[in-house]
Formats: sequence, structure tokens, C-alpha cells
Amino acid sequence: MKIQKLFQKTMFGVFALFGAISLSTSILCVYTVDTHLSEEYENNSENIAKTIADSSVDILLNRDLAALQSLIDQFVEIQSIRYIYITDESGEFLAHTFVPGIPEEIRTSDPFNTALVERSLPGMGDFVEVGSPILAGIAGTVHVGMDTGLIALKIQRAIGQQIYLISIILVVGVLAAIWFVNLAAKPLGDLLGYAVDLARGEEGTSNDKLLSRDDEVGHLARLFLYVSGREESESTNQRDEVQRR
Amino acid sequence: MKASDMKTMTRRALIRSGLACCALAPWLRTLRAVGSTVPQTATGVTDTEIILGMSAAFSGPSRGLGIELYRGARTYFAHVNQHGGIAGREVVIKTYDDGYQPDPSVKNTLKLMLQDQVFLLFGYVGTPTVTRVLPMLKKFQARNIFLFFPFTGAQPQREPPYGDFAFNLRASYRQETAGLVDNFVRINRKRIAVFYQADAYGRSGWAGVRRALKRYGEQIAGEATYRRGEKFTGSMRKQVEILKASKPEAVICIGSYAACAAFVRDAVDLDLRVPIANLSFVGSENLLKLLTGGNADNDHYTRLLVNSQVVPSYEEVSIPGVKEYRDLMQRHDPQPLQDLMKEAYAPFAHSFVSLEGFLNAKLMVEILRRLGGDPQRNQLERAVFTVRDFDLGIGEQVSFGPNRRQGLQRVYYTVVKNGRFVTLDNWKKRFA
Repeated sequence: MKIQKLFQKTMFGVFALFGAISLSTSILCVYTVDTHLSEEYENNSENIAKTIADSSVDILLNRDLAALQSLIDQFVEIQSIRYIYITDESGEFLAHTFVPGIPEEIRTSDPFNTALVERSLPGMGDFVEVGSPILAGIAGTVHVGMDTGLIALKIQRAIGQQIYLISIILVVGVLAAIWFVNLAAKPLGDLLGYAVDLARGEEGTSNDKLLSRDDEVGHLARLFLYVSGREESESTNQRDEVQRR
Repeated sequence: MKASDMKTMTRRALIRSGLACCALAPWLRTLRAVGSTVPQTATGVTDTEIILGMSAAFSGPSRGLGIELYRGARTYFAHVNQHGGIAGREVVIKTYDDGYQPDPSVKNTLKLMLQDQVFLLFGYVGTPTVTRVLPMLKKFQARNIFLFFPFTGAQPQREPPYGDFAFNLRASYRQETAGLVDNFVRINRKRIAVFYQADAYGRSGWAGVRRALKRYGEQIAGEATYRRGEKFTGSMRKQVEILKASKPEAVICIGSYAACAAFVRDAVDLDLRVPIANLSFVGSENLLKLLTGGNADNDHYTRLLVNSQVVPSYEEVSIPGVKEYRDLMQRHDPQPLQDLMKEAYAPFAHSFVSLEGFLNAKLMVEILRRLGGDPQRNQLERAVFTVRDFDLGIGEQVSFGPNRRQGLQRVYYTVVKNGRFVTLDNWKKRFA
């Protein structure tokens, strides 16, 4: 009964410890991954917008818009970039990747804005949009929209992987704890049984395996045997004295 | 050393050299033959063949374009090969399927240039594919590989920096869209909306319409897009609703036949009753087949259709080039390449696309003939520039020059009558 209680307490301790580790690691992980990935995606989209803006100058000034469209089509193949549009110096749309058409929210937004904007487009999802001026803005502006849903999915995946790893460690830890507790509990149980037998003064009580152990359990067993022997001799002496009297 | 000794020695040396040459003559001949075969094979010309490389859509929703263009070209090449070829060499087309997608097109081109070592590239289909291939031609410009007569009217292969690496036969999308806009404006339909493919092809046509409208102080009334590869079974209702909201008086479609047919169907179903124009790239016969379901009497969806073409109607048998095309198509009846066929396709007896392929091949043969018996890639451009007022048999002379890399300029307009595309002669009567 006492051993089971010890076992339960140990298991509870293990669970509590791992639970605290898992929770704190997950929170830290969510925060780190979310912050880093979001920053990374924003930086990427800013860089992509800048790259397109730099490459567009020559095309806008010297070439057909088909070449410009071909350029942005290649960039929109990059995962998590969901739309790109280019407006000219008057705000007119020169090229874009929207299907079936340019959303009303974008059509009515400021075409020269280059600051980060969060957009929720009906039927398309949530986006983070960044802009970059072409030729310091005198030739137009490039706008790149990153799908925040996809970013969230990637963050979730990264967190999921982290939690998966922690869960495996937890299971292995619990199994190891059970094994260790059993390893400690079995000799203690034997010792308890031996002590009870000695207390009952059962004849021929002896446990060589227990008495030969070179650890605390062995020392205790030998101590119990010694105390039990002393008590027995003391009671024999007392009995002899009574008889003498 | 005396002068006489020198003379004797020189004479002796000459005799020795002469004897050595006589002895080695058969070997030298062989070496020369080997030497001449190796570079010739390496540039797509053997003793028996001139190999042209073609990457086009032979699968997917636009496969009809690649197949028909190939069939038309194949017909003329078969005719030439049957009559001795070009200086004894047959013209062979090495074909690859790109499904009208840019990445496969780039890979195919690399294969054609580096592995197959073709003499030139011929009959590519599509703007998004060709615009991605053009930089490769610049990269390999030392090899003098040119792209001949791509099936696209886009500007990138008509202007710097890549215009020098391609030769076009057909009129441009700029000319087609300008012609359509001019005619619509003339019948007082100035509010023009555009339905286009969301890629370089669509943008090229969109830019053409925008440019043409600007001349009249007008803007594009509304625009809607679709993704490349859309099928006829797909819905275009959203696009129709977007355009309908802009209250257009005409719509110009810049797309492929499956998507444009779906758009026309949904436009008529949603009561958008305005003329709907398509560019030559659409593949008129395939479009018509989808809209009529093969039933010539079914004009429910085709009454307000008008298609621009860059070749005359194949029904005009009074045109010598058209008659020759029809005769040779009937005689050779070229079938689609079985190796590339992934889906069933029933070829048309005649089509605008195969007629264009036929004319491409006819001009190609003329250029190859002008190269003479020892065709070299570095002589190609010069040979093309010798083409002046060449008669393809369609009533328009073809000329090329350093500043003229497009052979034909004319645009034709056709409407559907009795289940066939016929030349439109009176816009007012038809659409006013």
C-alpha cells in the first residue's frame, strides 16, 4: 500500500515536471517561431517586391507589358506569395495575378502605399501586403501579398513538430520512470515483507538474497535481523530471569 | 648553302610533298568527309535531313493548337520531301509536348538545342512559353539558333532585347486588337471590356486593347481573368458577372478555346448580349465545336461571335495558297503524333491554325532553299533578309529585313454562319 503511494507520487511528479516543460517549451516555441517566421516572410516579401521593382524599370520603360506579366508570374510561383500587382505613376493597374478580377478592396486602396498593410480579401483569405516603389515611385509601385493563412499553417506545422518531439520525450520519460520506480519498489516490498515476517517471529525466517545486498535495503534487512535477534535474546533472558525467580 | 642547292632542295621537297599527298589522298578524303559530317550533324543538318525543333501543346486543354499547327506544317514538309526535299535533304520536325506550360517548354528547348542539336526552332505555341524561351536564345546566341514563326502575336519576340532571335510570320496581337477596337468603335461600341488569360498572353492582348482604346480617348470598361489551363466544363459565371457590372458594349477575349468557349456559353446564359470577339490564337474550329456541340444548326451561342484571324479563311478556295493548302491536306492527311498523344483528339479537315502551320512551313522551305546545298546556321539571318515581296499565295507579299522581322501584317475578321467561320464584310449590319 505504501509502495503504491510512493509510486503514484513519483509518477505524478514526473507528469507534472514534463507537463511544465512541455507547456513552457511550447509557449516559447510558438512565440519564437511565430515571431521569426512572420519577420522572415515580411522580409522576403519586401525583398521580392524590391527585386520586381528593380527588374521592372527596364521593362516598363522599354518593353511590352507581357514581359512584365511574365516576370511577376515567375515570382507568384513562390510558395506563400498569393498575389502581385503593379500600378503605374497614375495608379492604373499595369499587371496583376488576380483571378477572376482585381478585388474591390485593392482597387480602391492607395496605389502608392509601400508600408505593410494587413488585408482580408473576401473569398481569398487574409494577407500581409508590402509595396516597393519603381524608380523612386515615378514609374509606379509593386505590391506583393503574402498569405497569412499559409504562414500560420507553417507556424502550426513547426509547433506541431516541436510538440511531437516533446511528446515522444514524455512517453519515453514516463516509461523510464515506471521502470526505475519498479526497480526501487521491488526490494523495498521484499524488505517490508521480511520485516513483517521478523516481527511476527516466524520460525526459520531468512532471506539470503535480501541480506546479501550491498545497499541501503541490505543494510536495513541486516539491521531488522539484528534488532529482531536482540529483542528475541532479551525476551529469552527475561523469561529465564522470571523462571529463576 | 648555294642557291642551286636550295633550288634542288625545294624541288625535292615539292616532289616529296606531292608524293605524300598522292599517298594520303584517300585518307584525306575520308578525314574531310568525317570532318564535314561532324559539324553538320552537330548543327541539325545531315546528308539526308534538316532537323527543326518544335515544342508545343500536344496535351491539355489547348492541345488542339499544337496538333493543328503541326499537321499544317507537316503537310507542306511532306509535300516537299516527296519531291526531293531541299537539295536532297528531307525536312524533319523533332517535336516535344509542353502542354502550353512555360517550364516544360524551357526544358524541351534545352533538349532541342543541346541534345538533339536541331538546326533551328520552329512553330512554338503560346506567349507564356515563348517569352520564357527567348532569353535562352540570347544565352546561346553564339550558336546562331533562331526561333521561326511562333504561334503567338505577342510583342516580346518582336522587339528588343529578344526580337533579333525570332522571325514572325503572323500579324501581332497589337494589330489584331487594334483592328477589333477600330471596328467596334466605328459601329459606336466604345465601352469595351476584356476577358483574358492571367499570364503573358492575356496581358499582351490586354495591353493591345488598352493601347488601341487610348487612341480614341477611351479606357478598358471592365476586365476579368481566368487561370491558364481552364477547361470548357469550368464555370466562368463570376467573370461574366464582373464584366456585366461594367456595362460593356463589346467584349474582347484573349484566351484559349476551352476557356473562351466556357465564357461565351456563360455570357449568353447570363444574358450578356454583346458582341464577343476572340483573337486568332483561340483556335476557332475547336471553339466552334465546343459551342455548337458539333451541331451546325445550333447558333445559340455563336450569333454574336467575331474572331480575328491572321490568315485568310480556308473556305476561300479562290485564293491560290488556300487551294494548295486544301489539296495537300487532302492528299497527305497528316495524323497527330501518336507518341505525344495523351488524350483523344479528332483532327479537323481544315482549320485556321493548320493553314497557318502550312504557310509557316512554306516560307520555312523557301528560306532553307535560299541557304543552298550547305546550310549553315550563321547564314540563316542573311537568307531570311533576302526574302522580299515573296508570294505565299494568299494575296499578301512577304518581306523581311533587319528592321522587319514579321512577314504578314493583315488581319481578317470572321463570324459564324451555318456552323462555319466566314469572312465578315459588314460590321454595322452584323453588330450595330
